[in-house]
Amino acid sequence: MAEPHEYLVQHIQDALATDPRARELGVDVHVAGERVVLTGTAATPAQRSAIADVVEELADGYEVVNEMTVLSAAEDGTIEELT
Amino acid sequence: MTRVAAVADIHVGVDSVGRVAAGMRHLNERADLLLLGGDLTRCGEPAEAELVAQELANAGVDIPIVAVLGNHDHHAGHAAEVVGTLEDAGIVVLDGTATTVGIGGTTVGIAGAKGFGSGFAGANATAFGEPVMKAFVNETRREATRLHDALVAVRPHADRVIALLHYSPVPETLRGERLEIYPFLGSHLLAEAIDTAGADLVVHGHAHNGSERGVTPGGIRVRNVAQPVIQRAYRIYDLGEPALRESPVAATG
Repeated sequence: MAEPHEYLVQHIQDALATDPRARELGVDVHVAGERVVLTGTAATPAQRSAIADVVEELADGYEVVNEMTVLSAAEDGTIEELT
Repeated sequence: MTRVAAVADIHVGVDSVGRVAAGMRHLNERADLLLLGGDLTRCGEPAEAELVAQELANAGVDIPIVAVLGNHDHHAGHAAEVVGTLEDAGIVVLDGTATTVGIGGTTVGIAGAKGFGSGFAGANATAFGEPVMKAFVNETRREATRLHDALVAVRPHADRVIALLHYSPVPETLRGERLEIYPFLGSHLLAEAIDTAGADLVVHGHAHNGSERGVTPGGIRVRNVAQPVIQRAYRIYDLGEPALRESPVAATG
């Protein structure tokens, strides 16, 4: 019997937190049909790619859809007045 | 004008060299003070703390920098080394402590602590049952008490007071996160400490999928500056001109 989706999601999230390639707690993992969909924000393009690699290894038989964005850190001088 | 730049969760790792520096090249001319609300590093490795210092130096940041650590900065078990590296680079790292920064004629007091979880009023964990459960809640109580005492200590020396945290004191800035994980993202005990001691602004991070703006039950503005939330290098908040105090007290450094 295939592993229930709920356990696969948690196994993936545990791996993303502890695998040295990922070390990311903020990935949302959804299993839909035969797909594992990843959303959230990665710190760099390399981390985004590494996260997908970790998930590919765990989600045997699933298509991994990586919809994560990469952190935007552009400089912006907008000031919020708190007076 | 008292312009405070703030960001949290920059998560500097060996594969992100250059990203922070690129976003802070104009910081000196735009702000008077930089606050870093924890998770400066990806895993709390001393080498990553070195990279944080290098990034800020490469950007030429020479305004005062005040930081607290986050949970990621503790992961590798070398928090003391991380703090030492940051302090060697001139960054003031607060841990249940406070500092003051003079900006023109205004003294800004910053009280900082990492904070911790336990959840929010009506659905918070209590120090009951197993030792590890008591330890969890008591850790947050300890952080809240130290933050309170630091706020009280710095208030007489400052025109404006900021509470700097990693974990959130309110649920409003967690909007967007799953409700199930709120107890691991912050605690109302932190808000109670801040409201009791008083502050003009609270800055925190940690909740990557949360929201920027909130307010404590006592009416103090709260800003979640986690970089995935603000989607820019930093936010700038202008605290304005201070009201005249009845009994001015000499600022301490």
